[in-house]
Amino acid sequence: MRDSLIRGGGLLAVGAYAAFIGWLYQAQPRTFAQVRGGLAASVGAYHVDDQSFADGVRFFRRDQFPEARAAFARADSAERDPKTQFYIAYAYYRQGWGRFYNSDALFAPGLVAVNKAIALAPGGRLTVDDPDLQMHSADELKAELERGLTRDASDFNPLRVFRKRK
Amino acid sequence: MSATREALVVPLIFLTVTLVGGLHPGTPTLMTAPSEFALVLACLLVGVLVRSGGLAPERLLRSTRPPLENANGAVVLVTLFAASAQVLTVLTPDSGVPLLLFDAFLLVLLANTLITAPDRDRALRSLLVIFGSAFILKFAVLASLSSLDGGRMRKVLVALFDAATLGTVSQEQLPAGSGYLAFLAIALFMIGTAALPGVTRQTKEATELQPFTGRSTDV
Repeated sequence: MRDSLIRGGGLLAVGAYAAFIGWLYQAQPRTFAQVRGGLAASVGAYHVDDQSFADGVRFFRRDQFPEARAAFARADSAERDPKTQFYIAYAYYRQGWGRFYNSDALFAPGLVAVNKAIALAPGGRLTVDDPDLQMHSADELKAELERGLTRDASDFNPLRVFRKRK
Repeated sequence: MSATREALVVPLIFLTVTLVGGLHPGTPTLMTAPSEFALVLACLLVGVLVRSGGLAPERLLRSTRPPLENANGAVVLVTLFAASAQVLTVLTPDSGVPLLLFDAFLLVLLANTLITAPDRDRALRSLLVIFGSAFILKFAVLASLSSLDGGRMRKVLVALFDAATLGTVSQEQLPAGSGYLAFLAIALFMIGTAALPGVTRQTKEATELQPFTGRSTDV
Protein backbone atom coordinates (compact mmCIF):
# COMPACT_ATOMS: atom_id res chain seq x y z
CA MET A 1 0.00 0.00 0.00
CA ARG A 2 2.79 2.41 1.01
CA ASP A 3 4.73 1.53 -2.14
CA SER A 4 1.69 2.22 -4.30
CA LEU A 5 1.25 5.62 -2.68
CA ILE A 6 4.89 6.49 -3.27
CA ARG A 7 4.71 5.30 -6.87
CA GLY A 8 1.44 7.14 -7.56
CA GLY A 9 2.68 10.31 -5.85
CA GLY A 10 5.94 10.02 -7.75
CA LEU A 11 4.11 9.88 -11.06
CA LEU A 12 2.13 13.00 -10.16
CA ALA A 13 5.20 14.90 -8.92
CA VAL A 14 7.27 13.96 -11.96
CA GLY A 15 4.34 14.85 -14.26
CA ALA A 16 3.97 18.29 -12.64
CA TYR A 17 7.73 18.93 -12.81
CA ALA A 18 7.86 17.83 -16.46
CA ALA A 19 4.88 20.08 -17.26
CA PHE A 20 6.70 23.03 -15.62
CA ILE A 21 9.83 22.36 -17.68
CA GLY A 22 7.71 22.03 -20.82
CA TRP A 23 6.04 25.34 -20.02
CA LEU A 24 9.47 26.99 -19.60
CA TYR A 25 10.50 25.73 -23.05
CA GLN A 26 7.26 26.98 -24.58
CA ALA A 27 6.89 30.35 -22.80
CA GLN A 28 10.60 31.29 -22.64
CA PRO A 29 10.22 33.69 -19.69
CA ARG A 30 13.15 36.07 -19.22
CA THR A 31 12.72 37.07 -15.59
CA PHE A 32 11.62 35.39 -12.40
CA ALA A 33 8.67 37.82 -12.33
CA GLN A 34 7.54 36.33 -15.63
CA VAL A 35 7.93 32.79 -14.25
CA ARG A 36 5.87 33.71 -11.18
CA GLY A 37 3.28 35.55 -13.26
CA GLY A 38 3.02 32.72 -15.76
CA LEU A 39 2.46 30.18 -13.00
CA ALA A 40 -0.09 32.46 -11.32
CA ALA A 41 -1.87 33.02 -14.64
CA SER A 42 -2.05 29.27 -15.25
CA VAL A 43 -4.18 28.94 -12.08
CA GLY A 44 -6.08 32.19 -12.75
CA ALA A 45 -4.43 34.08 -9.88
CA TYR A 46 -2.57 36.74 -11.85
CA HIS A 47 -3.65 40.37 -11.44
CA VAL A 48 -2.34 43.61 -12.86
CA ASP A 49 -1.34 46.30 -10.35
CA ASP A 50 -4.26 48.74 -10.80
CA GLN A 51 -2.47 51.75 -9.34
CA SER A 52 0.52 51.39 -11.68
CA PHE A 53 -1.82 50.82 -14.62
CA ALA A 54 -3.72 54.03 -13.81
CA ASP A 55 -0.38 55.87 -13.57
CA GLY A 56 0.58 54.46 -16.96
CA VAL A 57 -2.66 55.64 -18.58
CA ARG A 58 -2.22 59.10 -17.05
CA PHE A 59 1.33 59.41 -18.40
CA PHE A 60 0.19 58.04 -21.75
CA ARG A 61 -2.49 60.74 -22.11
CA ARG A 62 0.08 63.43 -21.30
CA ASP A 63 2.37 62.07 -24.07
CA GLN A 64 4.98 61.04 -21.49
CA PHE A 65 5.59 57.74 -23.21
CA PRO A 66 8.79 56.41 -21.52
CA GLU A 67 7.19 57.13 -18.14
CA ALA A 68 3.98 55.43 -19.29
CA ARG A 69 5.87 52.32 -20.42
CA ALA A 70 7.72 52.15 -17.11
CA ALA A 71 4.43 52.31 -15.21
CA PHE A 72 2.79 49.72 -17.49
CA ALA A 73 5.79 47.43 -17.11
CA ARG A 74 5.46 47.72 -13.34
CA ALA A 75 1.72 47.04 -13.55
CA ASP A 76 2.19 43.91 -15.67
CA SER A 77 5.59 42.69 -14.51
CA ALA A 78 5.01 39.19 -15.87
CA GLU A 79 3.83 40.50 -19.28
CA ARG A 80 0.65 38.44 -19.07
CA ASP A 81 -2.05 41.11 -19.50
CA PRO A 82 -3.12 41.81 -23.11
CA LYS A 83 -4.59 45.25 -22.39
CA THR A 84 -1.41 46.51 -20.71
CA GLN A 85 0.71 45.11 -23.52
CA PHE A 86 -1.59 46.91 -25.98
CA TYR A 87 -0.98 50.21 -24.20
CA ILE A 88 2.77 49.59 -24.19
CA ALA A 89 2.67 48.97 -27.94
CA TYR A 90 0.54 52.10 -28.41
CA ALA A 91 3.04 54.13 -26.39
CA TYR A 92 5.84 52.93 -28.70
CA TYR A 93 3.69 53.83 -31.71
CA ARG A 94 2.87 57.35 -30.57
CA GLN A 95 6.43 58.09 -29.50
CA GLY A 96 7.92 56.65 -32.69
CA TRP A 97 5.46 58.31 -35.07
CA GLY A 98 6.83 61.22 -37.07
CA ARG A 99 5.43 63.49 -39.72
CA PHE A 100 8.43 62.90 -41.99
CA TYR A 101 9.56 59.46 -40.84
CA ASN A 102 8.81 56.90 -38.16
CA SER A 103 11.39 55.57 -35.73
CA ASP A 104 12.11 51.91 -36.44
CA ALA A 105 13.85 51.68 -33.07
CA LEU A 106 10.50 52.36 -31.37
CA PHE A 107 8.15 50.69 -33.84
CA ALA A 108 10.00 47.36 -33.65
CA PRO A 109 9.49 46.84 -29.87
CA GLY A 110 5.96 48.16 -30.37
CA LEU A 111 5.30 45.38 -32.84
CA VAL A 112 6.72 42.84 -30.39
CA ALA A 113 4.42 44.16 -27.65
CA VAL A 114 1.30 44.15 -29.82
CA ASN A 115 2.06 40.61 -31.00
CA LYS A 116 2.35 39.63 -27.35
CA ALA A 117 -1.01 41.29 -26.63
CA ILE A 118 -2.64 39.40 -29.49
CA ALA A 119 -1.12 36.11 -28.34
CA LEU A 120 -2.42 36.69 -24.80
CA ALA A 121 -5.92 37.80 -25.79
CA PRO A 122 -8.61 35.11 -25.81
CA GLY A 123 -8.96 33.95 -29.40
CA GLY A 124 -6.34 36.53 -30.44
CA ARG A 125 -9.02 39.27 -30.53
CA LEU A 126 -8.38 42.38 -28.46
CA THR A 127 -10.33 45.65 -28.40
CA VAL A 128 -9.80 48.48 -25.93
CA ASP A 129 -12.62 50.97 -25.34
CA ASP A 130 -10.63 54.09 -24.62
CA PRO A 131 -12.00 57.31 -26.22
CA ASP A 132 -8.49 58.81 -26.19
CA LEU A 133 -7.29 56.19 -28.68
CA GLN A 134 -8.00 56.26 -32.39
CA MET A 135 -7.17 52.62 -32.92
CA HIS A 136 -9.19 50.41 -30.63
CA SER A 137 -8.18 46.98 -31.82
CA ALA A 138 -4.80 45.26 -31.64
CA ASP A 139 -5.13 44.31 -35.30
CA GLU A 140 -5.29 47.99 -36.38
CA LEU A 141 -2.32 48.87 -34.19
CA LYS A 142 -0.32 45.93 -35.52
CA ALA A 143 -1.06 46.90 -39.12
CA GLU A 144 -0.07 50.50 -38.42
CA LEU A 145 3.22 49.45 -36.81
CA GLU A 146 3.98 47.04 -39.67
CA ARG A 147 3.23 49.77 -42.22
CA GLY A 148 5.63 52.04 -40.36
CA LEU A 149 8.38 49.46 -40.54
CA THR A 150 7.89 48.75 -44.25
CA ARG A 151 9.85 50.63 -46.89
CA ASP A 152 7.93 51.30 -50.12
CA ALA A 153 7.22 54.00 -52.70
CA SER A 154 4.54 55.62 -50.55
CA ASP A 155 7.29 56.69 -48.12
CA PHE A 156 8.33 59.31 -50.71
CA ASN A 157 4.84 60.75 -51.16
CA PRO A 158 5.07 64.44 -50.10
CA LEU A 159 1.43 64.34 -48.97
CA ARG A 160 2.56 62.14 -46.09
CA VAL A 161 3.35 65.26 -44.08
CA PHE A 162 -0.40 65.93 -43.80
CA ARG A 163 -1.26 62.61 -42.20
CA LYS A 164 -2.19 62.55 -38.55
CA ARG A 165 -0.99 60.48 -35.65
CA LYS A 166 -3.63 58.03 -34.52
CA MET B 1 15.50 -0.75 -6.55
CA SER B 2 13.28 0.87 -3.93
CA ALA B 3 9.96 2.49 -4.89
CA THR B 4 11.15 5.92 -3.72
CA ARG B 5 14.27 5.76 -5.82
CA GLU B 6 12.45 4.53 -8.93
CA ALA B 7 9.38 6.74 -8.69
CA LEU B 8 10.85 9.94 -7.29
CA VAL B 9 14.61 10.27 -6.87
CA VAL B 10 15.92 9.13 -10.25
CA PRO B 11 13.24 10.81 -12.45
CA LEU B 12 13.53 14.07 -10.50
CA ILE B 13 17.31 14.04 -10.86
CA PHE B 14 17.04 13.49 -14.62
CA LEU B 15 14.35 16.15 -15.00
CA THR B 16 16.54 18.59 -13.08
CA VAL B 17 19.37 17.80 -15.51
CA THR B 18 16.97 18.56 -18.38
CA LEU B 19 16.03 21.86 -16.73
CA VAL B 20 19.52 22.98 -15.69
CA GLY B 21 21.10 21.84 -18.95
CA GLY B 22 18.61 23.79 -21.03
CA LEU B 23 18.90 27.04 -19.07
CA HIS B 24 20.60 29.99 -20.76
CA PRO B 25 20.18 32.83 -18.25
CA GLY B 26 20.66 36.35 -19.54
CA THR B 27 19.89 35.48 -23.18
CA PRO B 28 16.69 36.11 -25.16
CA THR B 29 16.09 32.35 -25.29
CA LEU B 30 15.93 31.12 -21.71
CA MET B 31 15.58 27.43 -22.55
CA THR B 32 17.25 25.64 -25.44
CA ALA B 33 15.98 22.28 -26.64
CA PRO B 34 18.46 19.50 -27.50
CA SER B 35 19.74 19.39 -31.05
CA GLU B 36 18.72 16.55 -33.37
CA PHE B 37 22.23 15.12 -33.34
CA ALA B 38 22.14 15.09 -29.53
CA LEU B 39 19.12 12.78 -29.77
CA VAL B 40 21.18 10.34 -31.83
CA LEU B 41 24.04 10.57 -29.34
CA ALA B 42 21.57 10.06 -26.48
CA CYS B 43 20.45 6.79 -28.10
CA LEU B 44 24.07 5.66 -28.14
CA LEU B 45 24.56 6.75 -24.53
CA VAL B 46 21.51 4.81 -23.34
CA GLY B 47 22.79 1.89 -25.42
CA VAL B 48 26.16 2.10 -23.63
CA LEU B 49 24.41 2.00 -20.26
CA VAL B 50 22.29 -1.01 -21.24
CA ARG B 51 25.16 -2.90 -22.81
CA SER B 52 27.47 -2.32 -19.86
CA GLY B 53 24.84 -3.50 -17.39
CA GLY B 54 24.57 -0.04 -15.83
CA LEU B 55 20.91 -0.08 -16.77
CA ALA B 56 18.75 -3.19 -16.84
CA PRO B 57 15.56 -2.20 -18.71
CA GLU B 58 13.92 -5.50 -17.72
CA ARG B 59 14.04 -4.34 -14.10
CA LEU B 60 12.01 -1.27 -15.06
CA LEU B 61 9.61 -2.62 -17.65
CA ARG B 62 8.38 -6.20 -17.90
CA SER B 63 5.04 -7.98 -18.24
CA THR B 64 5.15 -9.47 -14.73
CA ARG B 65 5.22 -6.03 -13.06
CA PRO B 66 2.01 -4.20 -12.12
CA PRO B 67 1.02 -1.31 -14.45
CA LEU B 68 1.92 1.37 -11.88
CA GLU B 69 5.45 0.00 -11.50
CA ASN B 70 5.80 -0.26 -15.27
CA ALA B 71 4.66 3.38 -15.55
CA ASN B 72 7.38 4.41 -13.07
CA GLY B 73 9.91 2.39 -15.04
CA ALA B 74 8.86 4.01 -18.30
CA VAL B 75 9.21 7.45 -16.71
CA VAL B 76 12.77 6.59 -15.63
CA LEU B 77 13.68 5.57 -19.18
CA VAL B 78 12.07 8.64 -20.78
CA THR B 79 13.68 11.07 -18.34
CA LEU B 80 17.05 9.33 -18.75
CA PHE B 81 16.83 9.81 -22.51
CA ALA B 82 15.82 13.49 -22.16
CA ALA B 83 18.62 14.17 -19.67
CA SER B 84 21.18 12.38 -21.88
CA ALA B 85 20.20 14.48 -24.89
CA GLN B 86 20.35 17.68 -22.83
CA VAL B 87 23.75 16.91 -21.27
CA LEU B 88 25.22 16.15 -24.68
CA THR B 89 23.78 19.40 -26.05
CA VAL B 90 25.29 21.37 -23.17
CA LEU B 91 28.71 19.89 -23.89
CA THR B 92 28.60 20.71 -27.60
CA PRO B 93 29.67 24.14 -28.93
CA ASP B 94 27.02 26.21 -30.69
CA SER B 95 28.55 26.70 -34.12
CA GLY B 96 31.45 26.42 -36.53
CA VAL B 97 34.18 23.82 -36.80
CA PRO B 98 34.16 23.04 -33.03
CA LEU B 99 30.52 21.92 -33.31
CA LEU B 100 31.43 19.49 -36.09
CA LEU B 101 34.53 18.22 -34.27
CA PHE B 102 32.75 17.79 -30.94
CA ASP B 103 29.88 15.90 -32.53
CA ALA B 104 32.34 13.60 -34.30
CA PHE B 105 34.38 13.23 -31.10
CA LEU B 106 31.34 12.28 -29.03
CA LEU B 107 29.98 9.96 -31.72
CA VAL B 108 33.25 8.06 -32.02
CA LEU B 109 33.82 7.84 -28.27
CA LEU B 110 30.28 6.64 -27.52
CA ALA B 111 30.29 4.17 -30.42
CA ASN B 112 33.67 2.87 -29.25
CA THR B 113 32.42 2.47 -25.67
CA LEU B 114 29.30 0.71 -26.98
CA ILE B 115 31.30 -1.77 -29.05
CA THR B 116 33.90 -2.60 -26.40
CA ALA B 117 31.03 -3.35 -23.96
CA PRO B 118 32.82 -2.53 -20.71
CA ASP B 119 31.33 -3.49 -17.35
CA ARG B 120 29.20 -1.01 -15.40
CA ASP B 121 31.99 0.64 -13.40
CA ARG B 122 34.27 1.05 -16.40
CA ALA B 123 31.41 2.43 -18.52
CA LEU B 124 30.60 5.04 -15.86
CA ARG B 125 34.27 5.97 -15.54
CA SER B 126 34.51 6.25 -19.32
CA LEU B 127 31.43 8.51 -19.43
CA LEU B 128 32.94 10.69 -16.72
CA VAL B 129 36.14 11.09 -18.75
CA ILE B 130 34.18 11.88 -21.95
CA PHE B 131 32.00 14.48 -20.21
CA GLY B 132 34.92 15.93 -18.24
CA SER B 133 37.13 16.39 -21.27
CA ALA B 134 34.28 17.87 -23.35
CA PHE B 135 33.50 20.25 -20.48
CA ILE B 136 37.12 21.43 -20.25
CA LEU B 137 37.39 21.85 -24.02
CA LYS B 138 34.17 23.85 -24.31
CA PHE B 139 34.07 25.88 -21.12
CA ALA B 140 37.79 26.43 -20.56
CA VAL B 141 39.67 26.21 -23.86
CA LEU B 142 37.09 27.38 -26.42
CA ALA B 143 35.58 29.94 -24.05
CA SER B 144 38.97 31.55 -23.44
CA LEU B 145 39.69 31.62 -27.20
CA SER B 146 36.40 33.45 -27.78
CA SER B 147 36.41 35.71 -24.73
CA LEU B 148 36.82 39.44 -25.28
CA ASP B 149 37.49 40.16 -21.60
CA GLY B 150 40.96 41.27 -20.66
CA GLY B 151 43.53 43.74 -21.89
CA ARG B 152 44.18 45.21 -25.31
CA MET B 153 46.92 42.67 -26.06
CA ARG B 154 44.56 39.81 -25.41
CA LYS B 155 41.90 41.37 -27.66
CA VAL B 156 44.48 41.74 -30.45
CA LEU B 157 45.54 38.09 -30.07
CA VAL B 158 41.92 36.90 -30.11
CA ALA B 159 41.23 39.02 -33.21
CA LEU B 160 44.35 37.60 -34.92
CA PHE B 161 43.34 34.06 -34.04
CA ASP B 162 39.84 34.77 -35.34
CA ALA B 163 41.25 36.11 -38.61
CA ALA B 164 43.68 33.19 -38.99
CA THR B 165 40.89 30.65 -38.57
CA LEU B 166 38.46 32.67 -40.75
CA GLY B 167 36.11 32.97 -37.76
CA THR B 168 35.33 29.26 -37.84
CA VAL B 169 36.63 28.46 -34.34
CA SER B 170 35.59 31.35 -32.11
CA GLN B 171 32.19 31.11 -30.49
CA GLU B 172 29.58 33.50 -29.19
CA GLN B 173 30.45 34.57 -25.65
CA LEU B 174 28.93 32.12 -23.18
CA PRO B 175 26.30 33.55 -20.82
CA ALA B 176 27.52 34.19 -17.27
CA GLY B 177 27.16 31.14 -15.08
CA SER B 178 26.68 28.71 -17.97
CA GLY B 179 29.80 26.77 -16.99
CA TYR B 180 28.51 26.27 -13.45
CA LEU B 181 25.11 25.13 -14.75
CA ALA B 182 26.79 22.69 -17.14
CA PHE B 183 28.96 21.33 -14.33
CA LEU B 184 25.87 20.87 -12.14
CA ALA B 185 24.03 19.13 -14.98
CA ILE B 186 26.94 16.72 -15.54
CA ALA B 187 27.30 15.97 -11.81
CA LEU B 188 23.57 15.31 -11.42
CA PHE B 189 23.52 13.18 -14.55
CA MET B 190 26.35 11.00 -13.25
CA ILE B 191 24.58 10.64 -9.87
CA GLY B 192 21.35 9.68 -11.63
CA THR B 193 23.17 7.22 -13.88
CA ALA B 194 24.88 5.59 -10.92
CA ALA B 195 21.46 5.23 -9.23
CA LEU B 196 19.91 3.37 -12.17
CA PRO B 197 18.98 -0.28 -11.60
CA GLY B 198 21.81 -2.31 -13.12
CA VAL B 199 22.13 -5.94 -14.08
CA THR B 200 22.32 -8.11 -10.96
CA ARG B 201 24.22 -11.38 -10.76
CA GLN B 202 20.98 -13.38 -10.73
CA THR B 203 19.52 -11.73 -13.84
CA LYS B 204 22.87 -12.08 -15.60
CA GLU B 205 23.12 -15.78 -14.82
CA ALA B 206 19.52 -16.33 -15.83
CA THR B 207 20.10 -14.59 -19.15
CA GLU B 208 23.27 -16.55 -19.80
CA LEU B 209 21.69 -19.93 -18.95
CA GLN B 210 18.52 -19.46 -20.99
CA PRO B 211 19.84 -20.37 -24.48
CA PHE B 212 21.67 -23.45 -23.17
CA THR B 213 18.51 -24.78 -21.49
CA GLY B 214 16.52 -24.23 -24.68
CA ARG B 215 18.99 -26.11 -26.86
CA SER B 216 19.23 -29.10 -24.53
CA THR B 217 15.43 -29.46 -24.51
CA ASP B 218 15.38 -29.53 -28.32
CA VAL B 219 17.94 -32.35 -28.38
